[in-house]
Amino acid sequence: MPVIELSYSRLQKLIGKVSKKQISDSLPFLGLDIESEDKDLVRIEYSPNRPDYSTDYGVALGLQGLLGIKTGSVKLNIKKSKNYSISVKPTVSKIRPFVTGIIAKNGKIDDKTIKQLMTMQEDLHFGIGRKRKKSSIGIHDLDEISFPLIYTTTSKNHKFIPLNSEKELSISEIINDTETGKDYGHLLGQSSQMPIIFDVNQKTVSFPPIINAAVTTVTTKTKNLFVEVTGINKDDAEDMLSVVATILQSAGFTLENIQISGAKNSSPKLQEKTMRVNPSLINQTLGLNLNTSKIIASLKKSRLNAISKGKNIVCTIPAYRFDIFGPMDLVEEVALGYGIQNFEPTMSPSQTIGHTNPISLQLKSLNQTMIGLGFLEALNSSLSSKRVLYDMTNRDSKKIISVLDSKSQEHTILRDSVLPGLIENLSRNIHESYPQKMFETGSVFNLHDPISEKINLAVISAHKDANFTEIKSVLQTALKIGFGIQIQTKTTVNSSFEDGHCANIIFNGNVIGIIGEINSKIIENYKIRVPVVGFEISLSESILKSL
Amino acid sequence: MSQVFHDIEKKIINSLKENSIQSPETLEKSTQLSPDQVRRGIEWLKLKDLAIVDESKSSVISLGKNGLDSFEKGLPERRLLNLLKNGPRKLSDLQKELGFVFGPAMGLCRKNNWIETSSDEIILKTNSSILPGEETLQQIGSGKLSKDKLDTTDLNELLKRPDFIIEDVIKNKKISLTSSAKSLDISNTSGAIDVEAEVPEIFVARTHPLKDTIDEIREIFVTLGFSEILGNMTQSSFWNFDALFTPQDHPARELQDTFFLDGISAKKIATPEQIRKVSESHKKNWRYQWDINEARKMVLRTHTTCVTIKHLAENKPDEARIFSLGRVFRNEKVSYKHLVEFNQIEGIVVGKDANLRNLMGIQREFYKRIGITKIKFWPTFFPYTEPSLQTMVYNEKLGKWIELFGMGIFRPEVTKPLGITKPVLAWGGGIERIAMLKYDLDDVREFYNNNLGWLRSNTKCQ
Repeated sequence: MPVIELSYSRLQKLIGKVSKKQISDSLPFLGLDIESEDKDLVRIEYSPNRPDYSTDYGVALGLQGLLGIKTGSVKLNIKKSKNYSISVKPTVSKIRPFVTGIIAKNGKIDDKTIKQLMTMQEDLHFGIGRKRKKSSIGIHDLDEISFPLIYTTTSKNHKFIPLNSEKELSISEIINDTETGKDYGHLLGQSSQMPIIFDVNQKTVSFPPIINAAVTTVTTKTKNLFVEVTGINKDDAEDMLSVVATILQSAGFTLENIQISGAKNSSPKLQEKTMRVNPSLINQTLGLNLNTSKIIASLKKSRLNAISKGKNIVCTIPAYRFDIFGPMDLVEEVALGYGIQNFEPTMSPSQTIGHTNPISLQLKSLNQTMIGLGFLEALNSSLSSKRVLYDMTNRDSKKIISVLDSKSQEHTILRDSVLPGLIENLSRNIHESYPQKMFETGSVFNLHDPISEKINLAVISAHKDANFTEIKSVLQTALKIGFGIQIQTKTTVNSSFEDGHCANIIFNGNVIGIIGEINSKIIENYKIRVPVVGFEISLSESILKSL
Repeated sequence: MSQVFHDIEKKIINSLKENSIQSPETLEKSTQLSPDQVRRGIEWLKLKDLAIVDESKSSVISLGKNGLDSFEKGLPERRLLNLLKNGPRKLSDLQKELGFVFGPAMGLCRKNNWIETSSDEIILKTNSSILPGEETLQQIGSGKLSKDKLDTTDLNELLKRPDFIIEDVIKNKKISLTSSAKSLDISNTSGAIDVEAEVPEIFVARTHPLKDTIDEIREIFVTLGFSEILGNMTQSSFWNFDALFTPQDHPARELQDTFFLDGISAKKIATPEQIRKVSESHKKNWRYQWDINEARKMVLRTHTTCVTIKHLAENKPDEARIFSLGRVFRNEKVSYKHLVEFNQIEGIVVGKDANLRNLMGIQREFYKRIGITKIKFWPTFFPYTEPSLQTMVYNEKLGKWIELFGMGIFRPEVTKPLGITKPVLAWGGGIERIAMLKYDLDDVREFYNNNLGWLRSNTKCQ
């Protein structure tokens, strides 16, 4: 989840009459978790469904509502203008088909504003922009650009001075040699033509979704902004634009529209939408009994507009709240506006009788039996490693099930056996007193349409007198007392066990496991200094009854 | 201090009362105790200030290899002198007869002027009846001797010679009673043992502490009227993500957050109707091309919700209280607060009257039963619930609020495509976090280290 840094004093200026404590007390009730605080600075984590909380302007709008300072929806005032237009050439349609944008004028931009706008841009790129794949933003100094603009394609040899560079670079060079080029160049595929925005003088404005031209860089001297959003889907691009437009208006800019045309593109509307919600759905879902006016007041505190219409409430939702899919989302908005702290938990009497799953019950009985036999329960991860599962224990690693790109070397392969983990556990305890007796019940995984999961029991005993007879007695008693079943052991050879001291465990004519003295090579591998005996049996199917 | 004595102590005290200073060896004889019993008894009495242990060292002398040879055949120089008794002999003959002692014998005899050499013959000059060292050699040869009983000059003569003499340093212990022990009457305490003494540690066989917590939580759910369902840890992306309204390009579905199984896809993931309706919901609400191959990819479940949603989709109950408990996986770097694999509990309530305040009420009751009474609820976000809340609980030990279970009501975008018509309350969270609070651990990895020192010493009821 994204984290942003806010300043209390800046928030206080944006919100109006409010104390620092009121702000910090209210943030969690907007769904914003306070990560850390340091004097005037507070770091908060916001949910990716609320990109408007990526700046202090957006957070201030939310807090104004919750604190009752300013309620109701934020209306975008976009001045109709004919001075700005972008025409789109059909060549972009196969690469990055849509562009949209807005003009923002007469704002005051200080360092802090630039910082807020930059984090907003980054967060939007990462979240709803899906790492710029779906949509991406360019913010430019309007006064460096001469309209009308053209969104078209160009060759990879086209040169301009990109942001943060002092010299001209070709598009090929930008893609291959700059950091952002390397990170996002793949979004443009193998095409020889690249998307580009030129102004009327053929000056390069932007190479979306990679980088802006240096000439339009926004500084503290910038007064007027041109914002463009490009993307693979028109609605997604306009959603993103609606967040930026709302934030810029809140930051004191006046908005003017841009006319966009050509190749299925059109001017953005950034329109509010209306949605009906039935008060009974709200009250039923929340377990409250709110009247219509209380519901409307709560929605307004969540910065939406609402009116009563017949039995329903009709809600007006600004464009930037595209996280609202349907009436259930409005139910949550009512809950937030009403205040989660005002909900009194209730306990509805249960009409149902609970039961533990029969498998869990049987495993618990088995645990008790093993403990009665003097064994300590161990727990290992089911996601283990080649070293533990195969290399150290001489086991065949042909049919492994591995995960992709694990961040941890020790967790790369799903175990097909529990015993290797227990042997590894002994190696971590060679300084502890013996005898060491452990057992574990847990899932094992095998390739089968596509994967079968079964529960195994593995048992291990390590001490100077450990021998086959001892462990067979344990096996025999555990199964007899645990499940009332009798097993046989039949000589076999297995690389994990000593030759001549190893047997298959047979139940009803089927091999259900293996028992024996652990191969001395394995014990040596782990530098264990006492003999080790053990067994592993499959409990699923043959032993555990699912009832 | 208890005046109760172990039998061993009594025997030693009695023996020392008769014979006031003894070595451990003589005590073994007089008390008929084993060396180990005597050693322990002396140690106990010493701790109780009833016995004094005086330690001293002494040297014991015995013969080495060459010493033994000389003890049997005579000193090399004596053997040379004996050969010359009957007149001069040829050097080469003497060399043959004396072998390796010829050299040292010649050296010593010449040095002492006992012989003289003329051309190739050796002639005896003087023959003494006792040579230096000779008597001492005889003394040592008949048995080990304490160093202070031997003639020093004679001994030093022998000590110069290689492998002649072995000197062992021995520690001697002399045990005696302290004055308070001497007046002790131990006869009337016979039969009693020292019940206050330390005893050896033994180790218990037991369930794993984390399993204890899991069992405790399972039992709470059952007593609250919930029934347990089980499900696989390996799941298709369809049930882990798609059915839960998580779009296919959502960051949670990337390799860096979720464990995808290398090259493994499920052929059958759901019924055709389920697939059709779920994909329609995605296309309509998230506006993208839903791909069935993405949904087929097998993952290690990131939550147990995939098990509960599958159960609901299959059974479509109008009313139910179920829970699912088991391992879930996240592709994270392992640290003191993160594991790649941990346990999660998840509860579900289905019912026409199920509402948010009920959901909060169940949480409050659950926390009360694990001993947490100070809780509060904050709004949060999950892709598949709306509204969504999280519980914050106050931890007295840490002195701060910490986040525990997440909860919410399943979104209509989740329930409708799967034919679930009644509201579904859902909540859940990690069990290790609760267990860490319970066992006062600050490193979550301890649960899976299987460190016997910790497992054997941990208190069971906390």
